[in-house]
Amino acid sequence: MTDFSETRAKAPFIDRSQLIFWGVSILTAVLVIGPIAPIVIQAFLDKPLYAADAGATLANFGRLFSEAGMLAIFLNTLFFAVLTMVVAQVFGAVMAVLIGRTNLPGRAWFGEIFVWPLFVSNLVIAFGWFTMYGPSGFITLAFKSWFGLAPWDLYSIAGMGVVAGLSQAPLAFLMCLGAVTKADAQLEDAARSAGAGPFRALWSVTVPMMRPAIIYSAVLNFVIGIEMLAIPLLFGGPSGIQTITTFLYDQGINAAVRPEYGIVGAAAVILLIVVAFLVWLQGFLMKGSGRFVTVRGKASRPALLDLGAWRWPAFGIVFAFLFFTIITVFAGIFLRAGVSFLTPLVPFWKLLTTANFELIFSSANYMRSITNSIIISLVGAFIGTFFVTLIALVARRSEFRLGRPLEYLALFPRAVPGIIAGLGFFYAVVWLPGLDVVRGTIWILVLAFILRYIPVGFGTISPALSQIGEELDRGARISGADWWTTVTRIIMPILKPALFSCYALLFIHFFKEYVTAAFLFQPGSEIIGTTMLQLVAQGDNGPVSALATIQVIITAVFVFLARRVLGARIYG
Amino acid sequence: MANLVLENLTIRYGGVTAVNDISIDVAAGEFLTLLGPSGCGKSTTLFSVAGLNHATSGIIRIGDKVLFDGSKKTFVPPEHRNIGLVFQSYALWPHMSVADNLAFPLKLRKMGRAERDERIKEALSLVEMLPYAERFPFELSGGQQQRVALARALVYRPSLLLLDEPLSNLDAKLRERARVWLRELQERLNVTTIYVTHDQSEALAVSDRVAVMSMGHLRQLGTPKDIYERPTDSFVADFIGSSNFLAGKLVESNSTHNVVELGNGVRIKTAPGSAKADGSLVVAVRPERIEVAPPATDNTIEVDIAGSTYLGSTYQYAVDVGGGELRILTPHEIQPGRVKVRIPPEATAVYADRPGEA
Ligand SMILES: Nc1ncnc2c1ncn2[C@@H]1O[C@H](COP(=O)(O)OP(=O)(O)OP(=O)(O)O)[C@@H](O)[C@H]1O
Ligand SMILES: [Mg+2]
Repeated sequence: MTDFSETRAKAPFIDRSQLIFWGVSILTAVLVIGPIAPIVIQAFLDKPLYAADAGATLANFGRLFSEAGMLAIFLNTLFFAVLTMVVAQVFGAVMAVLIGRTNLPGRAWFGEIFVWPLFVSNLVIAFGWFTMYGPSGFITLAFKSWFGLAPWDLYSIAGMGVVAGLSQAPLAFLMCLGAVTKADAQLEDAARSAGAGPFRALWSVTVPMMRPAIIYSAVLNFVIGIEMLAIPLLFGGPSGIQTITTFLYDQGINAAVRPEYGIVGAAAVILLIVVAFLVWLQGFLMKGSGRFVTVRGKASRPALLDLGAWRWPAFGIVFAFLFFTIITVFAGIFLRAGVSFLTPLVPFWKLLTTANFELIFSSANYMRSITNSIIISLVGAFIGTFFVTLIALVARRSEFRLGRPLEYLALFPRAVPGIIAGLGFFYAVVWLPGLDVVRGTIWILVLAFILRYIPVGFGTISPALSQIGEELDRGARISGADWWTTVTRIIMPILKPALFSCYALLFIHFFKEYVTAAFLFQPGSEIIGTTMLQLVAQGDNGPVSALATIQVIITAVFVFLARRVLGARIYG
Repeated sequence: MANLVLENLTIRYGGVTAVNDISIDVAAGEFLTLLGPSGCGKSTTLFSVAGLNHATSGIIRIGDKVLFDGSKKTFVPPEHRNIGLVFQSYALWPHMSVADNLAFPLKLRKMGRAERDERIKEALSLVEMLPYAERFPFELSGGQQQRVALARALVYRPSLLLLDEPLSNLDAKLRERARVWLRELQERLNVTTIYVTHDQSEALAVSDRVAVMSMGHLRQLGTPKDIYERPTDSFVADFIGSSNFLAGKLVESNSTHNVVELGNGVRIKTAPGSAKADGSLVVAVRPERIEVAPPATDNTIEVDIAGSTYLGSTYQYAVDVGGGELRILTPHEIQPGRVKVRIPPEATAVYADRPGEA
């Protein structure tokens, strides 16, 4: 082995890695800026975007603020979002401590059930609540017949906020759970030996460790509250409570009747600025959270707290809570799908029918929305995973000079509410020449969904990527592989579990998405979510339930298979 | 076979200069060690040779093949340098078997199957790992992984072998055996090698030459004997082995020796060397070179022996002399009390600055 060969041949003139770096970056930029630019431009134009004689103006903002009821809309949105956040954080954090750190009986099951709402859209959740707790809901009526009154009103901001908060609590729960279960046991042990009792140690040492998780998910849930459409639409609509999203939705949908592009643009820009600020604030608040980082090396798991005599009472309370806020809500959807009329006054088995499902199965439109949803999710999640992985690899694991800016750009969609992304793509296809080909097809939806969920995918890939030591790529480079070969032969194979998880997560998000599609679908490219929106508007509750049931079943099957076959990690 | 040349290599990260104007010429077949305390820029230097980081200025070439030239903006990417590199963590690809780890670089070189298998066999037998070819990295011990990593770096016959603390994850006994084995292998293959370590005994044991670095600077480049016996500055004298540093004032200086007055007024003869402008200097002497109760009477000082530290094969005594503390290492126990010790002039070195100041 002494005949050492010469240094290998020079690099080819154009490096394919550079091509990929620039290609990925440009594509990301187009995808992110494409839908935002037309909205921002529209906000400052006096005529629709496509009008040749449109001129610059600031009047849209003036008109927006002088629009009747605008102040109420802003206040409603604010109050609704705050309530959503508070409810979600309180329930999420308490459940995290109970399930993660106590010997509550059945806690593994409770944890599983508690995250169900994350797998389905807010539209499905809202409809479930409506079915059970709405003014003529099953439980509402039952209460009224037993006690004479039902002390809740879903059609109020408080009602909306509680429902939205409970449907978002799992997000706070998962983040807090991560914090409390990964806490270094030695920290609590130190507090114990310093003289603190077990509860005191938990309260003073571990609960503060949840602070970054609480702050992070608080801002996330606040943002979700601001941009949520389904719950304000279903519950606020009948009682005339408008939020910024329902305002945009109504204005956007009614554009044909009363074209108010300027006002819509202005409202969208304000929403965009507020959300972008909140996302920035989130990053700002998380700065210096290193002092809460508790995971150091192979720390042992903290011990479980013995609830003692409180074990079974706590079990009862948690069970009742989950039963009434989650199990009943899902049961309501399934039940409603199987009967002609849901009421506590007549036993439901006397009203059993398959008519709702037959209606769905016999309608080409409804069936198409199901197949479209499946195709978009299967294919879109695949393309999305590939694209997000490329972004992460270029941003984190390449010599590309613009890696950091690329990452910022890729994470920007966190600040773009679904309704804005939808509206933006809607404008973009009208505005940008050449995009006509995807207009009204499911591919525009695929594009929009991918854009919207780049950050979600990035969030699964990038932690896994940082687990892979850089010497592995360096070792490949020095043994003669260029960047692309290193990525495909070394990093991606090691990253496989994360890629599967990313795929599964994107599938679920794409499958439940409806807001982004609301402005983009056309006859032929409808998805389950948009069809449900239409049916809800028409008050066809039977078919809505049937469709929702089908969506839940497909999701459940997918989650089961993804966990079993792909070994994907989805929410826990 | 080629030599490696670093000319005025400088590497900056923002405001930090990790490597400062280093020039080294590594002869073909030479085993050169970069030695220095943590953070002194050893790995940075090594990785810049590999092309895994970008130097700021200077030249890196193998023979007349320029790999990096700061002024001409030449940069050969790592995959075109044909260099073998072994990482501290071994960096074996976890999803590939031992044989596949070795096959990967060969496949990239479009080598046919038969020749590839031949090479893999050859490289694995070289590191005595042939029976483990089908194992996966996680099924190997640390020492075995380290040998596979070495085989992987050698299998494509690189023109240069770089090793970044390859033995630091092994236990002490295994480390000593591995370094002997490594050196023998290197001599057999006659491959130009740069070895990074912060373990001085390892550096002295295996190297043809050692480059001592500190805070990005090259402090001394020489044979192990050179740097141990003739350190050119007080940092090297302090870092390699250990030295006593006694502050003093220059009284007389000529070409063969100096006369230095220590803090307590005692005058001793030392090796020649220059002092600061005001005449102050430090005298360095290794603890094991100090003679206790010597037959000779020149250059002796009286010290008070108190407690001792038992080190197994030797005893260490710390005594107070004018100008600082003096550590004495001797194989024999000394009875407490006043005793004469001699500082042999030929065992001393004189520097203008103390280690921290240079
Ligand atoms: N990518 C980087 N960005 C900024 N500073 C860096 C970077 N890499 C190295 N440095 C700095 O350069 C200096 C030299 O680092 P280097 O890794 O070469 O040290 P070393 O001699 O290998 O130390 P050790 O023995 O601990 O491995 C350090 O001060 C380090 O902080
Ligand atoms: Mg190092």
